[in-house]
Amino acid sequence: MKIKLKLFLGFFTLVLMLALAGAYSIIEFTRISSSVNAILEDNYQSIQATKNMLEALEREDSGILLLLMGNFREGRQTITVSDSSFLQALDIARNNLTEENEKQYVADIESHYSRYRSLIEYPIVNTSRQGNIEWYETEVYPLFQEVKESIHALMDLNQTSMYREAMTLKEKSKRAIMPGIVAIGAGIVFTLIFNLFINYYLVAPVKRLVHSIRNYKRGTVFGAEIETRDELKDLENSIRDLTAKL
Amino acid sequence: MRIPLIIRHIGGILLFTSLFLFIALILSLYDRDGTSLIFLYCSILCLIFGLFPMIFVPASTLTINIREGIAIVVAGWFVICLFGSLPYLLWGGEFSLINAWFESVSGYTTTGSSILNDVEGLPRSLLFWRSSTHWIGGLGVILFTLIILPGKDSAKFVLVSTELSEIARQNFRESSKRTLHVLFFVYIGLTLAETILLKVCGMSLFDAVNHAFATIATGGFSTRNLSISHYNSIRIEVVIMLFMVLSGINFGLLFGTVTLKSRNIFTSSIVRWFILVLFTGILLVTARLYASGYGSLWHSIRYASFQVLSLGTTTGFATTDTGNWPVFTQLILIYFTLQCACIGSTSGGLKFDRIIIFFKSLNKQLRLIRHPRAAVVCKLENRPVSEQLENQTLVFTVLYLLIILISTLALTAMDVDLMTSFSGVAATIGNVGPGFGEVSSLANYSGLPAGAKIILSLDMLIGRLEIFNILIFFSLKKF
Repeated sequence: MKIKLKLFLGFFTLVLMLALAGAYSIIEFTRISSSVNAILEDNYQSIQATKNMLEALEREDSGILLLLMGNFREGRQTITVSDSSFLQALDIARNNLTEENEKQYVADIESHYSRYRSLIEYPIVNTSRQGNIEWYETEVYPLFQEVKESIHALMDLNQTSMYREAMTLKEKSKRAIMPGIVAIGAGIVFTLIFNLFINYYLVAPVKRLVHSIRNYKRGTVFGAEIETRDELKDLENSIRDLTAKL
Repeated sequence: MRIPLIIRHIGGILLFTSLFLFIALILSLYDRDGTSLIFLYCSILCLIFGLFPMIFVPASTLTINIREGIAIVVAGWFVICLFGSLPYLLWGGEFSLINAWFESVSGYTTTGSSILNDVEGLPRSLLFWRSSTHWIGGLGVILFTLIILPGKDSAKFVLVSTELSEIARQNFRESSKRTLHVLFFVYIGLTLAETILLKVCGMSLFDAVNHAFATIATGGFSTRNLSISHYNSIRIEVVIMLFMVLSGINFGLLFGTVTLKSRNIFTSSIVRWFILVLFTGILLVTARLYASGYGSLWHSIRYASFQVLSLGTTTGFATTDTGNWPVFTQLILIYFTLQCACIGSTSGGLKFDRIIIFFKSLNKQLRLIRHPRAAVVCKLENRPVSEQLENQTLVFTVLYLLIILISTLALTAMDVDLMTSFSGVAATIGNVGPGFGEVSSLANYSGLPAGAKIILSLDMLIGRLEIFNILIFFSLKKF
């Protein structure tokens, strides 16, 4: 093999190793980015929706308390606005089903909320329910708690999944760094080996040739032994032929 | 010493390793388990480091001397363990830098000690790679490479001489080339036979192949968290016990038995003694277990025989947690951990033949004290053992025990308890695998400090490479 090709292969291998490590890291980082996406789009959106539902539910509860106190206009307005916000958040959760059984969790919220809603559709102000704390405690509050619990269940599901994804992300980031570390180590070792080979099979033979020529000038027989079959061997043969003719 | 030549020979070993990485790559592509990139990267890296020296180092200069042979064998083992740890390192999970190194060394040296808490959590391709390291290391990475890759006969002779101990070479009584072929065919034959039998006994093909790799190499890596106890099958246990014993016997004798030669396992006194000692161990452990109310007599025989054979052949599979067994049985098992199996098998450590030589030499010395002028010859398998070999064996045994003592001291200095330290060191230097205490048969080495893992991994290499090779390697002055 010619020296030019040997050197080319050496440098090419070094470049190949770096390119491989780079490609590997790029693929791993792409995977990380998709995991980040999954966390943000899938779980975070659902968690945000559950938070909005909880807030709307709390406001709706305040609306009921206003009605119980006889404040019809403000109470109904609060309930209408909160109901709209709740349904909007529920819709987001319904359209973002990313976890196993998440559909069931959303259906539970829907069923509990519709029962809760049916209770407060009937007039409260100027009826026997106005000021009736017992009615609130025995009928409204338990349903309010059920809706709240079902929302919390959905939130927990997404938070657990988000934590799991974050852990995976941590693992993936470690994996993305590792090929780079391995490539650096391998690159250093390869460079040392390459350097050793250049010294042993290119520089040392040249030195041997020079030394032999010097010795020849002093009257010794030319005797540099080149092990490789490349230009240096050709040079050795040429010098040998030349010294034989002289 | 011609370092480029050593690098070229080590490159050959890496080329052979890349073959198994490619098989793992195919498995990962089939399973789509997310490890394809890891195996592709590692196999390309092995190929690069394997092929590159061939560009520079001329084939005409491949003849090596003994010093270079020792350097190739010792450095080759270190390099192969380093490359073997890359798939674990890139996978991550429980594999930190030190854990990956520990698992790789444990695999190649056929020790079978693991740092994994959840083996079943690994993808199949990585489990296959883990078992492959056993199988490659079982026969000896260098020997495997010599069989597969072409090379000069003179170089093969030097490397076989370095990789096999002197007693093993004497036992084979064949030329280097013939020894290689005997080893290879017995190894492949045993692996195939066990795989088929385990499959017939109800294991999946994947598990059967992996457990066959681990048994024939006397390794001990299982694909299950509960090792062999996962299957709770007497048939599987019997098959594994049979192959553990076969793998613990000199392969030359197994070959002689199959080819109906006069020198076979039935005519060998070492094999007779080996079986007798194992049988005595089983009897003692069974009796103590039964007396301690471990279970019925059958129950005691079943578990005692598996554990004694597993540790006595340096395999390290488990069917129960011996950490809860009476101290007497644990001490017997520790004896088997120290004794190890026969020379010329896939086991590492002190080896049974040396113990025989030790006692024969002791007998010789006693006779010489009684009759100072008598011509007493120490014989092994009806052949005289040279004074040099006798002395080497004695020095080896003392060194072996000294290393165990020093390593145990080092571990206890890291606050590891005495039982865990001593049994862990004995189990790793003997390439057995499980010890007692924190590292008992169904536990693992993950809880040990990083420093302890490094010491134990070095012990594994010392046990595998035989102490003298390592000492000569580190005393080579001129690199």
